[in-house]
Amino acid sequence: MKEWVGLLLRLVVGGVWIVAAGLKVTDPAQSVAAVRAYQLLPGSLVTPVGQLLPVIELVVGVMLVIGLLTRGAAVISAILFVAFIIGIASVWARGINIDCGCFGGGGADPDAASQYPWEIARDVALLAASVFLVWLPSTKLSLDSLLFRRTPVSEGS
Amino acid sequence: MSKKNRTNDRASRAAAALEEQERQERRRRNLMVGGVVGVILLIILGGYFLSRSLDTTTDVTADAPSSSSEFGVTIGPDDAPNKVVIYEDFLCPYCGELEKRTRDDLAQLADDGKVQVEYRPFNLLGGDDDESYSVRSAGAFSIVLDKEDAAVAKKFHDLLYENQPEESGPFPKSSELADLAVEAGADESAVRSPIENNEGVDWVTKATKAAGDAGVQSTPTILLNGEVFQSGTTLDDLANDLIAKLQ
Repeated sequence: MKEWVGLLLRLVVGGVWIVAAGLKVTDPAQSVAAVRAYQLLPGSLVTPVGQLLPVIELVVGVMLVIGLLTRGAAVISAILFVAFIIGIASVWARGINIDCGCFGGGGADPDAASQYPWEIARDVALLAASVFLVWLPSTKLSLDSLLFRRTPVSEGS
Repeated sequence: MSKKNRTNDRASRAAAALEEQERQERRRRNLMVGGVVGVILLIILGGYFLSRSLDTTTDVTADAPSSSSEFGVTIGPDDAPNKVVIYEDFLCPYCGELEKRTRDDLAQLADDGKVQVEYRPFNLLGGDDDESYSVRSAGAFSIVLDKEDAAVAKKFHDLLYENQPEESGPFPKSSELADLAVEAGADESAVRSPIENNEGVDWVTKATKAAGDAGVQSTPTILLNGEVFQSGTTLDDLANDLIAKLQ
């Protein structure tokens, strides 16, 4: 049963990553601008982070969906969600109104403050799903179960 | 190996074989995991370089500022050692913040002949709506720029930022923009009616197209001697670092 729940969570979290990355990966300039708008990272880090994030999101999403190195992918997924929650909470606390840039977009957005609670709630839910997969990474229909299956141990002879 | 292994006991031989099998199994697993991790890292690295090559953030190729530019107001002499272009939208809150933090310093540096600054307003936030504040304010600016000298246009530009509305509104009416233009020193009979009739729309369309063609995607975009200038974490850093560069 838990393995089926794991499969569902893998598909949901991985799917969200793939969609989020797909909307950003073709326009790194926008992604860099979205990262910059958080005013959290020093200038020299903004560009590499903005360029790298969509790529990592895409890779983590694909790994989760096909169930490849599920635990490792889920760990990175969880770390990213923690970082995003901190980022959104921080702009909220500082009174900066920006589009979170979660699914493309980014930059100033006058109505952003009303979105923050919902965005944080969404990221907390996805974080919980990721943590579940770190805890129980063995799931149905995963590539892991094909590649890394323990050959049944023969009992004596 | 335990003492037990050295005996000829069948069970212990089987246990040893089992252990060996498990060790090999672990080895195979580790090799495979390592291989997969390696491939994934390569994919990420490749994706990063691809992403870098697709990043157009700094591909802004705008003209240098000049006192005869069509789409901006310029302060400072043509022979200043540093040239700055600031693309902005009168509605954009960060442009307003940048203005607050840099306006007096830039004006002083321009007076001292250390920098030439051109402010190029365009419509970033108004979309296709000709009645949006971004379009009306930039249009009013173009009318003042056309009818009056640069000093009045700069003063009007400054007043627009001093009276910047919230990005979500409410927005000043065009007649209020005309009031500001008059306050800046523009001749009321020359500017009021064109501003109130929003006759600057064509200019704004052209200025926006010029900014887009130059590769400007966000505001404020600052060019220092032809290169996109970005620095520090916050807007404060950006403003301070820019001024420091120009001293």
